[in-house]
Amino acid sequence: MLLLTLITINILLVMNVVTDRAISLVEDRVEVSVYFYNYTEDTTLSSAVAYLRGLSQVRNVETVSAQEAYEQFVVRHGDDEQIMSSLEELGENPFGPSLIVKAHTVEDFEVIINALDNPQFRDAIREKDFSDYQSIVERIRATSDRVRTFGVALAVVFLLIAILIVFNTVRMGIFIHREEIAIMRLVGASNWFIKAPFLLEMIFLSLIAVGITMVMVYPVVAFLEPQMSVYFGAESSGLVAYFTENGLLIFGGEFLALVLVTLFSTGLAMRKYLKV
Amino acid sequence: MIRFKNVSKIYPPNVVGVEGVSLHVKPGEFVSIVGKSGTGKSTLAKLLFAEERPSRGKIEIGGWDITHISDRDISLLRRQIGVVFQDFKLLPKKTVYENVAFALQVAGERPRRIREVVPKVLEIVNLSNKSDRYPKQLSGGEQQRVAIGRALVHSPKILIADEPTGNLDTLNSREIMDLLTKINEFGTTVALVTHDRDMVNRIKRRVITLEEGKIVSDVEEGRYKL
Repeated sequence: MLLLTLITINILLVMNVVTDRAISLVEDRVEVSVYFYNYTEDTTLSSAVAYLRGLSQVRNVETVSAQEAYEQFVVRHGDDEQIMSSLEELGENPFGPSLIVKAHTVEDFEVIINALDNPQFRDAIREKDFSDYQSIVERIRATSDRVRTFGVALAVVFLLIAILIVFNTVRMGIFIHREEIAIMRLVGASNWFIKAPFLLEMIFLSLIAVGITMVMVYPVVAFLEPQMSVYFGAESSGLVAYFTENGLLIFGGEFLALVLVTLFSTGLAMRKYLKV
Repeated sequence: MIRFKNVSKIYPPNVVGVEGVSLHVKPGEFVSIVGKSGTGKSTLAKLLFAEERPSRGKIEIGGWDITHISDRDISLLRRQIGVVFQDFKLLPKKTVYENVAFALQVAGERPRRIREVVPKVLEIVNLSNKSDRYPKQLSGGEQQRVAIGRALVHSPKILIADEPTGNLDTLNSREIMDLLTKINEFGTTVALVTHDRDMVNRIKRRVITLEEGKIVSDVEEGRYKL
């Protein structure tokens, strides 16, 4: 049961890392593409860039000139003769310049969209293109919060069962060794001498539980990381790196917490059943 | 060495173990506490090694007031008092040597000291040649000698023997009584709780008689009269 508790906690940790990474990736892609008419003057474009860069919510503004937009279109549709012939029929570059505005977080999105309504360049803007990143992030968060709540509840249930099992194990141990304990008391054993074996046994069991969890967690995250490339693309989910960098803290912390819990339970059982 | 001042032990709801017991046992004395079953002999023994606390009165062991002894100090007291029981209370999975050594191990003695002391004690109780045997491979008398050896291992000033011959035949009982007498001659105060008339009469030492939890007679070189 100690093992199940630890595994549940580590699953929660994995979820936390993956969710944070997913949200961070989505936030990294938060951008607004602003397309200007092809007659837009450079000064209007420059003032729009300067204005946007002045906003604290804006992380970066990238300018794509009309010529660059044309070239990108040609590269993208060079194989499609129909499109290319239509483009040639126009006789001139139909693309205007555009700006790619990146925000810090999805919450900044709304401010940037409103800022583009500035009368100084509002009329030069042909189209604003953005995805609803905020709703994506909210959906990720809502899902992960639900799973996390369930996981925490499950871990608490496992922990309570573990406390009861430890309590009962110690009670059984006291019952099995009652004769030996009575003789220990008779010949002058100190309280610590009588209690220590029970406490040390529980510390040892906690160590084994954490050891088994470590042995299970590392191969599982190493297996999971490449599977997640479907969702993260070229980016890594960072699971292995997370557990490698924070391994000592995670498993050390879990060991300490487990020791405290088992000692608490052992202490309760000894207080109730071990009259020394 | 042992001093009881008006000691009473009342078990809930109102069962008298001992009542108004006052006695003084001098250092090096051998005292037999006798009486019928249920007269409070074992309660008196339990009060001596702090298995029970008195309801009233005061108990001193070697000048140490143990009337309200703390749980922590009980272990210290028991390292200064040897206790022997009718049912031996040996650990069945330990050899004779290990059973005797156990009393030193629980007190945190160093292995070197244990290796020095245990063979000497086994020699006193005449079990040197059976040190690697287990309790079930020994006779009742030999098991009781192991228990006495374990009680002696701390070189106690007082040895309390609660019905030590209760499970033994006459021959083994005499061996045990001879051993207790020998230990007493080395200077250890012995408190023998028994209802074995022959053994008490044989040793001709001080006899305290209990009846319904009270001392009804205390005679030097007494006899078992009940």
